[in-house]
Amino acid sequence: MSALPLAAEATQVHLTSQTRIVAAIIAIFFMLLILDLIRRDRLQERYSVIWFVAGLGMLAGAAFPGLLELVAEAMGVRDTNVALFSIVLLLLLGLALNFSVIMSRQAAQITRLAQERALEKAREQAAEERNGGAGSKRERA
Amino acid sequence: MRTLVFIPAWNEEASIAAVVADVREHLAGADILVVDDGSTDQTTARSRECGVLVATLPFNQGLGAALQTGYLHALREGYDCCAHLDADGQHPAAEVARLLAEVEADRADLVIGSRYRDPDAELQSDDYKPTFSRRIGTGVFRFFLTLATRQRFTDTTSGMRAANRRVMSLFSENYSPDFAEIESLQLAVREGLRVEEVPVRMLERAGGSSFLTPLRSAFFIFKGVVVLLVGQFRPRQHAEAER
Repeated sequence: MSALPLAAEATQVHLTSQTRIVAAIIAIFFMLLILDLIRRDRLQERYSVIWFVAGLGMLAGAAFPGLLELVAEAMGVRDTNVALFSIVLLLLLGLALNFSVIMSRQAAQITRLAQERALEKAREQAAEERNGGAGSKRERA
Repeated sequence: MRTLVFIPAWNEEASIAAVVADVREHLAGADILVVDDGSTDQTTARSRECGVLVATLPFNQGLGAALQTGYLHALREGYDCCAHLDADGQHPAAEVARLLAEVEADRADLVIGSRYRDPDAELQSDDYKPTFSRRIGTGVFRFFLTLATRQRFTDTTSGMRAANRRVMSLFSENYSPDFAEIESLQLAVREGLRVEEVPVRMLERAGGSSFLTPLRSAFFIFKGVVVLLVGQFRPRQHAEAER
């Protein structure tokens, strides 16, 4: 045969029922946790969407193992569990990147806020000096 | 011509008063703003004692953010041109005046004071001696920035600059907090602004030591190269249309 196997030739390893049940339970608890965090104002809705999608994905994977097996086949892996882990890993990578993007935006916002505050204070100082009769001061607002 | 000279300062209580006095002496017509980048010492108090305006950032944000504060102030308060210099006393105000003259004569939008470019011998004094790691860093940045901008720069990290309103409006919106000096040059050239270097005399820092250890220098250089590379793929803004 070919020296470069493009796909696994051995028979596929399927998810066991036990794995599927455990995954489904985890997914349901996970989504409940997210709902609870939103309910208690600990998580803003706009940041929860992505987590909710992740939870739904987990649930779908547990309920319809055929989906995962299709993915495994497309990836060329024999073991569906490996496909599962790969997908989860990629998902986490994406989420981490998403947070870096959010963090960068917020860092820029914080910087601008600090700059505005600093300049506001400088303007206050200028106004004080104008009104306070500090006659020798040459600075203007 | 209304001119603002701003001085970014981070824990420079020892030297700030002398720098302010120097600016007052050589740039008599200019307003002065000290941007205190979240100092933990008496920088703000010392500056106020000198009778200059002080914009105190509530926490340390890095040189880029401090410089941007100055550009923002200059833009909003309607100054025609602005200049900045380091607060540690390395930059003589008399040299800043020469940079400003270039901007005022509209020969350039952004003028950089270079300690390396040396057309006349009188400037090639022994005042400034760079360390070994700084020389390497300077060489690397010089090479990559020249490559990126297709314009020759010798002193890429110089903190002595003068600028007009085009630069103010660009830098007050786009100024990298991490790599202020180098990226801003790249940005200005990409936006079609006229950037020019003028040879200046700089002094050895009065006190304290540079923050760069060899390892930090290496990381600093690496980061700078990555920043320049990424900067080449940034979308252009609109500064060209404004001209």
